[in-house]
Amino acid sequence: MTPLTDLGLRLPEPVLDRPPGEAVPETEFIEAAMRWHFDPATGSPFWLRAAGDLGFDPRRDVHTIADLAKFPNLVDLLREVPVFDLVPRGYGPDPGIGGVFESGGTTGPPKRVVFLDDWFDWLIDYSLADLAARGSPTGVDWLAVTPSGPHMFGAFIERFVRRAGRLPFTIDLDPRWVKRVIAEGHADEADRYADHLIDQVRHVLRTQDIRVMVITPPLLERLARQDDLVELVRAKVRTVEWGGAHMDADTRSLYMTEIFPGASLYGRYGSTMILGAAVERHGLTADDPCVFDPPSPYITFSVVDPETLRPVEYGASGQVVMSHVSRSALLPNNLERDLATRVEPLPGSAQVGDSVADVRPVPVFGGETVVEGVY
Amino acid sequence: MTGPSGAGANPPATASRAATASGVNTATGTGTSTGKGPSTGPATASAGRAAPAGVTPGTAVRPDPLKLDALGPNGPFRSRERLTISDVAGAPMAELSLVPRLFVHRAMAALRKAETMPAEERLAALARAAEAFEHGAPAGIPTDEYTHLVSRMSGMPISVVRSAARGIARSVAGAGHDAGCARPMAAVESWRDPATREGRAVWTRRAEVFAVHAAGNHPGVHSLWPEALALGYRVAVRPSRREPLTPYRLITALRDAGFGDDQVVLLPTDRTVADDILRAADLSMAYGGDEVVHKYAHDGTVLPQGPGRSKILVSGGDWRPHLDMIVDSVADEGGTACVNTTAVYVEGDPTPLAEALAERLAAIPSLPPEDEGAVLPTQPVQTARAVEKYLLDHAGDATPRLGGDGIVDPLPGGGAVLRPAVFQVDRPDAPQTGIELGFPCVWVAPWSAKDGAGPLRDTLVLTAITEDARLVDRLVDDPSISNVYLGDHPTYWMRPDVPHDSYLGEFLMRTKAVIRD
Repeated sequence: MTPLTDLGLRLPEPVLDRPPGEAVPETEFIEAAMRWHFDPATGSPFWLRAAGDLGFDPRRDVHTIADLAKFPNLVDLLREVPVFDLVPRGYGPDPGIGGVFESGGTTGPPKRVVFLDDWFDWLIDYSLADLAARGSPTGVDWLAVTPSGPHMFGAFIERFVRRAGRLPFTIDLDPRWVKRVIAEGHADEADRYADHLIDQVRHVLRTQDIRVMVITPPLLERLARQDDLVELVRAKVRTVEWGGAHMDADTRSLYMTEIFPGASLYGRYGSTMILGAAVERHGLTADDPCVFDPPSPYITFSVVDPETLRPVEYGASGQVVMSHVSRSALLPNNLERDLATRVEPLPGSAQVGDSVADVRPVPVFGGETVVEGVY
Repeated sequence: MTGPSGAGANPPATASRAATASGVNTATGTGTSTGKGPSTGPATASAGRAAPAGVTPGTAVRPDPLKLDALGPNGPFRSRERLTISDVAGAPMAELSLVPRLFVHRAMAALRKAETMPAEERLAALARAAEAFEHGAPAGIPTDEYTHLVSRMSGMPISVVRSAARGIARSVAGAGHDAGCARPMAAVESWRDPATREGRAVWTRRAEVFAVHAAGNHPGVHSLWPEALALGYRVAVRPSRREPLTPYRLITALRDAGFGDDQVVLLPTDRTVADDILRAADLSMAYGGDEVVHKYAHDGTVLPQGPGRSKILVSGGDWRPHLDMIVDSVADEGGTACVNTTAVYVEGDPTPLAEALAERLAAIPSLPPEDEGAVLPTQPVQTARAVEKYLLDHAGDATPRLGGDGIVDPLPGGGAVLRPAVFQVDRPDAPQTGIELGFPCVWVAPWSAKDGAGPLRDTLVLTAITEDARLVDRLVDDPSISNVYLGDHPTYWMRPDVPHDSYLGEFLMRTKAVIRD
């Protein structure tokens, strides 16, 4: 599956083009990626411009995943940069655009990335293999209750179902509007919007043979408030995949043991800034921590102390640093706002970097700073 | 430990003022922190206690922290997400299970689905629960141990906790009668009443599910909501992180006494989920500060329980015969209640009264909360410093008569006593008179007849020493004054059958017409 240019020429650095499941030597891969992204003939205008300010030469100084920590976190620039500048010029004039996607926009204007077809295909092949290994049904109808529009999650699922399933049912879901009305103090309006979404979910579930449902945790929780919807899901849905937000361990356990004990429930921990996601480790029970193993070396995690940025011990909690390295994109060393427990990769796996568990937002217990009054 | 000290002889604290913004009503107030427990899954144990009984009063450390499970519609639930509740010295005392939003909504849905128990069964169960709460060992915690734990956890003097526990028991036992005080004279209790044959108003519930955002300043907060159970509501209580033990033990007693798990639930939650409980309930009651009052001011389904800003007016003659009442109004209940006096208005020069008040309050000893003689509240040192900083930052041009150098008195065993403060302001409308803090802290202001009722408004309880019947008319008529006590009655006086924020039944009930053949 080595990409060909529009002239039919093979691209350099073939180690960047291995299919999912095939071993990738870490150093060889990273060095090839650095050559590709920082060679003036093949790199993207974005990285070639940034290279002069790095203070190091990635082609000389970056050899391993751990070396990615040398890069500054440049993701904030993705809010403003003309997004075609992110595409490596080595692809030629017709790189095969899979889509332009935007981050949620929680922390300011959204950040944009470009998916090229070769990476999209890789990610779908990877996810197909994962689905098969999970024993999830194939050739069935899916319902995606996921952010639509410029958001990666919905677009990915829709494209994935074309390969993995039969019919992809979707609904329109604009998470930025929800965030905005909540920020403006209109929780009631957010409730109305959620009801509007759930009504659409009900209509699909009632009339169609949905076997796989992909949904965000907040909407799954809203769905679970309605007895009729719980019954519909129990009757029809074999696999519930969640992603796009956090799910705490108690909630996950309630789904697995009380609410949807007959379905297979698993999570996907992703980010637009890594052009993909890590999926939940197979075979976990409600009492196990929810562990996510990233597809390294393309997507890697490290869990660090937010003060020192040094890795915490296995089993300890820290902030998640994410990196994406592929032929189509380079987004190294992005400190996310999530907290997670650092977990060792599965024994025997070739994974580089950390797995993560108990992914969660910074806890909100404070904020009640009022001293006055007796209550 | 600081012993009794004369006026001005007890500068409690000169050490650094902590910059923390934690307040008296925050989790930091009890040194809480979050932690992941082992993955135990839902608990099956019905009792939260993890250590044998017989903790000697005075000892602060238990071998194992109490496990305070959520009390859900399917029984106790021990979550993975837990909050450590510490005593005032910072020693962990309990692990409170916090439930996620999913659990909250399922619990609220279960309350909504549940059938109300028949009235006579409810009243009998309330009576049994009251007996157990006062004399038994609900959740495996005998009363003596319970009161000791609460005093260590909340910093409330143990004598106040004991009296509050008796008060709760009385209120629970009398919940049916007390709730009935709100029934309009023309209405009957049941459609079966023969009077309905001629056509009558029948007193009925406005709704089915009632929620409470409780406070942790005083256990007595939990003496009111049992009236909702008596009236047939299903009830959800979100406990305060400062002192969740009282509602845990009370709801356990109610369940032991016959209330089903789907009749009354305890839902400890993270702050982000708290509003879900209110939104999922039909009607609710929320304790809090001004921000809570403002938030729900226009929401007819939420009854806010805000600051008390209770006041005393001494007009005309001599204040001296009333000094005991004034001192008690400020300092009784550890000064932590909404019915404690926040401001005293005195006709003429307020200086002698302020000085006499300061002298009396200064003589109160600093003692750890579990000491039989304790009168003043204790808090973790950091919280106490934050309160002190708030007071001194906001005292402005007021003249300190006590506590001007600080009010924090660290105890040798950990924690710090909040010592009384007396400040004098020079005009009745001084803004400081509205500053209500969770310890004996009082603002003394001048008042004259020409000032009238104005400065006395926005008050939970006003005790007025006055002969002016026209002034009394205005005070009783004023919608912003909730209760008026005339003469030598402390502001904290209350009796279950006399409302203090109106009868709860006025909020929970309505009348409907019934006529039958």
